[in-house]
Amino acid sequence: MAFTLRGLKVSPNSASLEEARSRVFDFFKTACRSIPSIMEIYNLHDVVTVSQLRSTIASEIRKNAHIDNPKVIDLLLFKGMEELGNITEHAKQRHHILGQYVLGKQGLVQDSSTKDEGISPFLKSFYETNYF
Amino acid sequence: MNKVFNRRTLVVAIEVPILLLNSDRRDRKREMGLGIFTSMLLRRTIIQRSTKLLSPQSPIFNNSFVRPIVSTPELKNPEAAQADPVPDSPPLPPRSPVGGARVHFPNPEDAIEVFVDGYPVKIPKGFTVLQACEVAGVDIPRFCYHSRLSIAGNCRMCLVEVEKSPKPVASCAMPALPGMKIKTDTPMAKKAREGVMEFLLMNHPLDCPICDQGGECDLQDQSMAFGSDRGRFTEMKRSVVDKNLGPLVKTVMTRCIQCTRCVRFATEVAGVQDLGMLGRGSGEEIGTYVEKLMTSELSGNVIDICPVGALTSKPFAFKARNWELKGTESIDVMDAVGSNIRIDSRGPEVMRILPRLNEDINEEWISDKTRFCYDGLKRQRLNDPMIRGNDGRFKAVSWRDALAVVAEVMNQINPEEIVGIAGQLSDAESMMALKDLLNRMGSNNVWCEGNGMQTQADLRSGYLMNSSISGLEKADVFLLVGCQPRVEAAMVNARIRKAVRSNLAKVGYIGPPTDFNYEHQHLGTGPQTLLQIAEGRHPFCSAITNAKKPAIIVSAGLFEREDKDAIFSTVEAIAKNGNVIRPDWNGLNVLLLNAAQAAALDLGLIPESNKAIESAKFLYLMGADDVNLDKLQGDAFVVYQGHHGDNSVYRANVILPAAAFSEKEGTYENTEGFTQQTLPAVPTVGDARDDWKILRALSEVAGVKLPYDSLMDIRSRIRIVAPNLLSIDEREPATFSALIKPEFPHSMSSTPFKAAIENFYMTNSITRASKIMAQCSAQLAKK
Ligand code: SF4
Ligand code: FES
Repeated sequence: MAFTLRGLKVSPNSASLEEARSRVFDFFKTACRSIPSIMEIYNLHDVVTVSQLRSTIASEIRKNAHIDNPKVIDLLLFKGMEELGNITEHAKQRHHILGQYVLGKQGLVQDSSTKDEGISPFLKSFYETNYF
Repeated sequence: MNKVFNRRTLVVAIEVPILLLNSDRRDRKREMGLGIFTSMLLRRTIIQRSTKLLSPQSPIFNNSFVRPIVSTPELKNPEAAQADPVPDSPPLPPRSPVGGARVHFPNPEDAIEVFVDGYPVKIPKGFTVLQACEVAGVDIPRFCYHSRLSIAGNCRMCLVEVEKSPKPVASCAMPALPGMKIKTDTPMAKKAREGVMEFLLMNHPLDCPICDQGGECDLQDQSMAFGSDRGRFTEMKRSVVDKNLGPLVKTVMTRCIQCTRCVRFATEVAGVQDLGMLGRGSGEEIGTYVEKLMTSELSGNVIDICPVGALTSKPFAFKARNWELKGTESIDVMDAVGSNIRIDSRGPEVMRILPRLNEDINEEWISDKTRFCYDGLKRQRLNDPMIRGNDGRFKAVSWRDALAVVAEVMNQINPEEIVGIAGQLSDAESMMALKDLLNRMGSNNVWCEGNGMQTQADLRSGYLMNSSISGLEKADVFLLVGCQPRVEAAMVNARIRKAVRSNLAKVGYIGPPTDFNYEHQHLGTGPQTLLQIAEGRHPFCSAITNAKKPAIIVSAGLFEREDKDAIFSTVEAIAKNGNVIRPDWNGLNVLLLNAAQAAALDLGLIPESNKAIESAKFLYLMGADDVNLDKLQGDAFVVYQGHHGDNSVYRANVILPAAAFSEKEGTYENTEGFTQQTLPAVPTVGDARDDWKILRALSEVAGVKLPYDSLMDIRSRIRIVAPNLLSIDEREPATFSALIKPEFPHSMSSTPFKAAIENFYMTNSITRASKIMAQCSAQLAKK
């Protein structure tokens, strides 16, 4: 596959946590820079904004905030770059982006609101699906 | 290898002229045309030569290029084969009966012993050779024999060898005699089967690729197992004009092998003399003598019993292949019989419904309504929660909003004005939840469709079929009170018909004129006749008193009558005078109409007052489409929870989509008290939910949370109310029956009994949505 982001080779292991950390920031910046072209490729203008996508990227990264092993961070970083490469290469289709990054894990249910607090797990799953 | 081949061709070349001179061969030549004849001859010769030249042991024989006509060449010589009765093959171990069947000896002294393939088996006297083989665990190939039909013995597929008999015998028609030595695996038997197969295939078209039976065809399977790999008949096959048997059964009569199963089924089980055999010899055809549709409520079963693809399902034609289908063993809910069915689905779609064997309920038949209602599951479905706006139109909303609206309204209404009605297709779990929900709201106005006012639900014997469905077979006198079993419960009618045929049972009927497919006496149309019988002023009384096992069947349609208590106590008087309830026989039966009814009565879903609907301000309909809402006040708030947009939806304010019986797990109790469960075969449609889940969710939103989160929890709740609903696949008979009605009532009105079901094909929301059922009622329903 012809990557435009050619620089995404397997880079040498980070020597320290510090180095891994700075690489993560670099990755975040690269990702953020490619957001406009991603919006263009997948025609996302009327479903999502740049800032929303940016916060999605940030939250995907924050999911792994608890990891402190540089080797693991390197691995996750590599996977992230691969994903970013796939996206900018148009190796995905619009519904992949929508499903994974625009709607997120909430699925299609948009009306989750504060009134859901205090309801039983049964009711919560009832609103989502018949199969639980 | 090459050398061998050359030698053989050489031999052929030499032999052909010699054989052509042979005189009897020349006779056949005249009939067959030269080309066919020579090619046959050539092949013949090759075999003869090759068997002669190359002994079977020689390795060259095994690799021979030319395959013989008969797949087992050593069978070509029956004498030789018989002289050598396979002593060397190790004896097969004794087997257990086919299908795990158990043999019932009505009279132990009458047991006889026969030998099947060398093993002794004990069978009762009167068994046929085929049945003896089945007991010995040998499955004999067959086409015309069917264990529930009379014996025809015309396909000859079941030939076996019996020692000392010169010819193979048709085992299905031959009674087993003591000491008979039956051989099912000898060259003679095999050759006989091969021959029969060849004749059957002579006129059977080779259209398996476009035949709906392909993959579940007896002819296909048995020709693979027992047939030869080629036939000698090269003439044109015959063709037969297709018959029109109505909207359900498709016919491709060229495929028929004249086994006459369908004819025997129609006359013996279905009780219609529509089908018959016309012509003889190779001109034999199955058909209705004059152009006529098959008008039986059991006609779909000929599709199952036809061993080939001559009779197939019209709605299913070319829709799917049977190997793509997923079968789910479930229960039918079209009537109160609870027939066992298999729902065949492909992906999210129900493709067809087939019967499942249950000797106690439906044997192996199902009614046409059960079999063909499935297309109703794909039409008119409710798939989103909806609220009726101010303009009178429904608007799809989320579950959250719908439940919030319902809960809000429900909380503002006086408890006495809240009414809940369960529909005729409801399962026990959701009825339990409905009752609990309404009770928690402070109302006890909850009942199930069809259970009229103040129905007596304390004694189970008062609303069950106490003699059990299979028990009806033993009865010798029937008194049907307002009950038209043919449309109310076709499978029960089949049992009564069986009793009429085998015990010559007498049937007396009180009710509006209707159709019966057996001998019956129409005693009268209304309660007057009933009173006459109760007072002993009617000739039919003596029939009841003299009967060994009299059965009275009262239709649940009478539950709706004002004077039902009077009627039931009159019936009980008849039962008492006729000694219908004895220690070993309870012949006082109620035939329920709906799948939900028995469970509803067990759970105590009975209306408290006659005025409930008129005074209701909040009506919760759980699939109830057959309640009369005319008297409902204009400002009453109606919630319809159900799977079909049927009658009640027109009046509903909120719609909550629910799952149909093919999509949920639910407990149903049939009219004889047999508890069974449906299993989900396909996923729910759209945003629909299971019934009990909706009620449970609503209860939480309304602030009266029901204490169950799973089916298991509901069932433990049911255990407190009606523990019999938890013993799945068991019939829980009424523990004790007493006649509790006041002695002799005189308050019976003289209105004649009404038919409980107007149109057999359209009784509930699923069938009303079905196109096939609509066609049936247009073309077949008795006018
Ligand atoms: S139609 Fe089918 S069941 Fe009827 S005789 Fe022909 S093969 Fe047998
Ligand atoms: S099965 Fe015995 S003759 Fe047909």
